[in-house]
Amino acid sequence: MDGTSRTAALAIGLALCAGAGREARAGDDAPPSIRFEDQRFEPAELVVTAGAPLQLRVVNARSEAVEFESFELNRERVVQPGQEVIIYLPALSPGSYPYFDDFHQDAGQGRITAR
Amino acid sequence: MRPSLRIVAAIAFVLGAAQAVRFESSNPPVAGDAQPPPDVATGLRSACYDCHSNETRWPWYASLAPVSWLVHRDVSEGRRRLNFSVWSEYVVDPGTRTQKLEHIRELVLRGAMPPWYYRLVHPSSRWTDLQRDEVLHWVDAEIAASSTTP
Repeated sequence: MDGTSRTAALAIGLALCAGAGREARAGDDAPPSIRFEDQRFEPAELVVTAGAPLQLRVVNARSEAVEFESFELNRERVVQPGQEVIIYLPALSPGSYPYFDDFHQDAGQGRITAR
Repeated sequence: MRPSLRIVAAIAFVLGAAQAVRFESSNPPVAGDAQPPPDVATGLRSACYDCHSNETRWPWYASLAPVSWLVHRDVSEGRRRLNFSVWSEYVVDPGTRTQKLEHIRELVLRGAMPPWYYRLVHPSSRWTDLQRDEVLHWVDAEIAASSTTP
């Protein structure tokens, strides 16, 4: 592999790594997003930046209404099937903030982690 | 020992042992209280604040098991579901504030809150029709305000 090819491969590799990092960590432009699916949340843990107010996009991919509920964040929002809402959050202290679907508590908990 | 005395002794022992399971009767700081008109605030304080705020007036029996377990469960669950002392946090998210208000309206209209056993021991929590209407009017006005908030 010549120098140019090596540089290109390195650039592609770095770009892929950066892309993989964004899957777990909220992007810079689009609001971080949580997707309610059957019996699970996607992602199970969403990492956001601590110390800055943020908007959270909650998408309901289920065929029934869900209720995003977090006692730690003092937030509750019903989301109709196939709909999405934006939830406004203040600057979070570093830490972990569980949430759940109050209409389907058997789905367990998801987690928002502020770092 | 007579059977009746044995039963009394057993009950006393169980009640005594129950006192070992204690919960702290604390009131965290008020982060940002709701700001309804004074008449509405009086009604909310008399009927709701013991379980739905950080300004709980802990009764003497909140230290006496097993009743204390029920009191602490109600306060803990009540604060998690609706806490007037963190109202300023709900305001940041108009959707959450609207949902809290809609829950209040529904429960007031159904007469489901405060629970019957709370009203039984707290006569001041029993609203007059006027107090109830004042609270509902405030709730409706707040919902309308939320819907116009960007």
